[in-house]
Amino acid sequence: MSLGRRAFLQFVGGAIGGTLLTPIPWKLADDSAIWTQNWSWRPSPQRGEITRVRSVCQLCPGGCGITARLVNGRRAVAVTGNEAHAVSGGGVCPVGASSLQYVYAPYRIQQPLKQTGSRGDPKGFKPVSWAEALKEVAAKLTQLRSGGKPHTVACLTGQKRSTVTRLWKHFLTAYGSPNFYTMPDAADSVRLAVALTTGMDAEPGFQWHKASYVLNFGAPLLEGWGSPVYLQQVFARWQTEKPGVPRTVLVHVESRASLTASKAHRWIACNPGTEAALALGIAHVLVRDKLYDAAFVAEKVFGFEDWTDPTGAQRKGFKNVVLAKYGLEDVSSITGVAPQVIQDLARELARQKHALVVWGQDKGDKPNSLYHDLAFLALNALLGTLSPSGTVALVPHDPWPDFPEPILDTDAYRGAGQTPLGRPSAVPRTKAPVNTVMPFLEALASGSEYPVELLFVHEANPIYSLPETALALQAFQKAGMVVSFSSYMDETTQWADIVLPNHTALERLDDVVGLPGAPHAYYAVSSPILKPLYDTKNAGDILLGLAAAVGGGVAESLPWKTYEDVLKLRVGSIAKAGTGLVPSAAFFDPASVQPGRALKPNFKDAADLWNKLKAGGCWVDAPAAAETFATPSERYELACQGLMASVPPTAADELFMPRFHPLKPSGEESEYPLLLMTYASLMLSEGYVPNTPFMNKLLPDDLLRKQDVFVDIHPQTARSVGLTDKAAAVLKTPRGEARVRVRLTPAVKPGVVAVPQGFGHTAYDEYVQQKGFNANSLIEVQLDPVTGLGTVWATRAQLRRV
Amino acid sequence: MGEVKKSASQRGAGIVFFLAGFIGALLVGWVVFPNVLYSTKTQPIMFLHSSHQDSNCEDCHYFREDGSYSGLPKLEKCAECHAEPMGDKPEEKRLVEEYIQQEREIPWLVYAWQPDNVYFSHAAHTQQQGIECVRCHRDVTKETKNPPFRENRLTGYSDKTMKMVECEKCHAERGASNACHLCHK
Repeated sequence: MSLGRRAFLQFVGGAIGGTLLTPIPWKLADDSAIWTQNWSWRPSPQRGEITRVRSVCQLCPGGCGITARLVNGRRAVAVTGNEAHAVSGGGVCPVGASSLQYVYAPYRIQQPLKQTGSRGDPKGFKPVSWAEALKEVAAKLTQLRSGGKPHTVACLTGQKRSTVTRLWKHFLTAYGSPNFYTMPDAADSVRLAVALTTGMDAEPGFQWHKASYVLNFGAPLLEGWGSPVYLQQVFARWQTEKPGVPRTVLVHVESRASLTASKAHRWIACNPGTEAALALGIAHVLVRDKLYDAAFVAEKVFGFEDWTDPTGAQRKGFKNVVLAKYGLEDVSSITGVAPQVIQDLARELARQKHALVVWGQDKGDKPNSLYHDLAFLALNALLGTLSPSGTVALVPHDPWPDFPEPILDTDAYRGAGQTPLGRPSAVPRTKAPVNTVMPFLEALASGSEYPVELLFVHEANPIYSLPETALALQAFQKAGMVVSFSSYMDETTQWADIVLPNHTALERLDDVVGLPGAPHAYYAVSSPILKPLYDTKNAGDILLGLAAAVGGGVAESLPWKTYEDVLKLRVGSIAKAGTGLVPSAAFFDPASVQPGRALKPNFKDAADLWNKLKAGGCWVDAPAAAETFATPSERYELACQGLMASVPPTAADELFMPRFHPLKPSGEESEYPLLLMTYASLMLSEGYVPNTPFMNKLLPDDLLRKQDVFVDIHPQTARSVGLTDKAAAVLKTPRGEARVRVRLTPAVKPGVVAVPQGFGHTAYDEYVQQKGFNANSLIEVQLDPVTGLGTVWATRAQLRRV
Repeated sequence: MGEVKKSASQRGAGIVFFLAGFIGALLVGWVVFPNVLYSTKTQPIMFLHSSHQDSNCEDCHYFREDGSYSGLPKLEKCAECHAEPMGDKPEEKRLVEEYIQQEREIPWLVYAWQPDNVYFSHAAHTQQQGIECVRCHRDVTKETKNPPFRENRLTGYSDKTMKMVECEKCHAERGASNACHLCHK
């Protein structure tokens, strides 16, 4: 027997035969298949008890009810709408539906951080303990206050409808700083306009359910304006046939064929930025043909006829001004809308029993020109919609007088006497607060007045989401110390010195005060859906802790132990007032809410109301009827006497009343022949939070292709520049330039470039970074000469081939 | 003849080599391979069902209101009785000190764990439908120690994990559907 080649083969043959009769090949084949199912990067859903928690979304001012599904009470797996919620009725927007991707995002900040390298270097952040971080901030606050410079502390918050905003203002007032700002909002200018004309700090609440005819000047009702889900529900209701009830007609005025325009019954394509002129043209016809609500105007309106100002000077009234200045031919040449169309619109509007005039821009995050807000309000006043039986209610912004007056000690007095940084002296003094955030940043960037030694940024990402991002960055670089309360490492937080991470919107107890555009008062408590994942704190609690550390009047003014105590105080005030109810969607008809008819409460006391709200409900109540106005004339002031201090005594008569007053974009038309305008979309988030990966899945490839973002131009514009569909180009404005691709569409006017917002992040993760360009880096802000608010309507631009 | 003889001896030797390979492979396949494929692990805590005879099965293994099955109880269930040690057994002391007091869930090794791509509802497989627990699970009533957990090194599952064929067999016997989507949603 020799062990040769033959023997080896015989052995191998036997081994193969034997192996085939063992489990080895069969078991390994099966197990290998199972092994591939268990690779570590394969997502595996956690198993366990499924629970549902109801809450209210905090990611935009929309106040939608949400239901979170959790496994074992700890791992949230889905967010859907809450069908029992009276306002959103089970609906949810793309941001809300994918909101868990913010909670579990890799760009979450997991503990307090301190910049140890040079400012702006994201790698220079080192974790520090809460005690250490808070001690440093408290020491800076104490040092500035005792050094007589409390006014050099400023706060910019992106939260506009939470009690934490009120708490920030209260803190800064007691501390001694007038420099409290929120991110820009359409309400900034509307509240001033309402305060000037009615003497109230209120926002117009539109009775969508009652209106039979809605004339909408530019508000993208279906693209994220106001409370997005609420408005989608309203729109669905308009489309639902009800026997005996005529359908609500929507007429949309906008230069671009937006989604809202395409869904409207009629689209009036005016020239860009001329909506207010069209409103005044319609007012002209109403006045000329005596089609206005004569009874309301005679009894409740001041300044329609000629008037005498407090100095005794005779001034022309609205009637004569609008008849003289806004003739059909003049308005037609401004707006590009035919005179006959304007006349027909006015007559159609006047025929309606329940007409409603609405206006807005993008997602409601840009203040308007004061005069233009006044123009749209005037049209409503002429139609009598502001009367108690009309379609516009005045909803007070934050009506509960539950915060005690701040205690101003000597240090606070020293700072409180200072003018807010950059605020123009012409800003009218009304009951409405003034939010001159853009002049503040300009003054900070230029160093023209006093410096800002300590800047708090809370739930805001101004270096990305403020128009003119370069200015915001410049301002931040000038600030002494920047403290960010962000939950995410965003573009702004990268420039912070200390980061005190807030819980995300789904992890914290918070509230929603008021609903933009809704005709009723609204309050909701947002309960955490799960325990915080990381070592973060509620910004409200941090603020109370800082107040206690500073001591003196600040600690006395903010005596609460926790932010929950503050929210309970608010709920206690509502319960004490004893009106309003926490309705269920099934038993609540929004059309039944009428101004002046307070709703009967369905809660026993403050504790009962708190429990109902914590369970995901919302409190609603009818606003008071506008029987009288708190203006000098005790009427609705078409001619605003409140502007006497803001305009020179020799000012022309029209400076007191609505007028078409476009601000001229900078740059030469020869160099920048086009107009850049931005548009909003529900698929894009351009505010404090970026798009989630799920939201990016919604984007069509003629909006975002790989890293390129498409801008819309008319084929005629494309021919003049020599561009074809999908061609790459460079878009340049006086503020900056970006590489884009063009989409040729007749949906925009020739000469206009329509640009989406929400792209071009440099922070966060690979799903968001470097996709296209940030529209805010190209657009130009024009300060309203009266209010100092930063308005945005169009920026001069050029497109060239690459 | 000499050539034939040589050839016969060669053939004999060939059979020996073949058998050596054949038997060797059988030994490796049936004896060595199972021992190599599986590692033996022990449960983090020695839990004896027989020591919990004062409780009903449903106290810990119950259907939730939504019809889903609770499966293994969570730590808070153990803590209902064992917040403090009830006796002086060292395992119970460990349970209290290492898990309950530190609020750490016990990382039980689950003998019947099924892959994510298998949908199984306990609600459809109950005693009311004539299926005893022991049809699929081991009889735990008289156990004096936990059986070792033999983990497949490749897949991570226990060697006791039921395979698809067993589901199919029972479904076929009882006239239940064997359609793919019944278990693979």
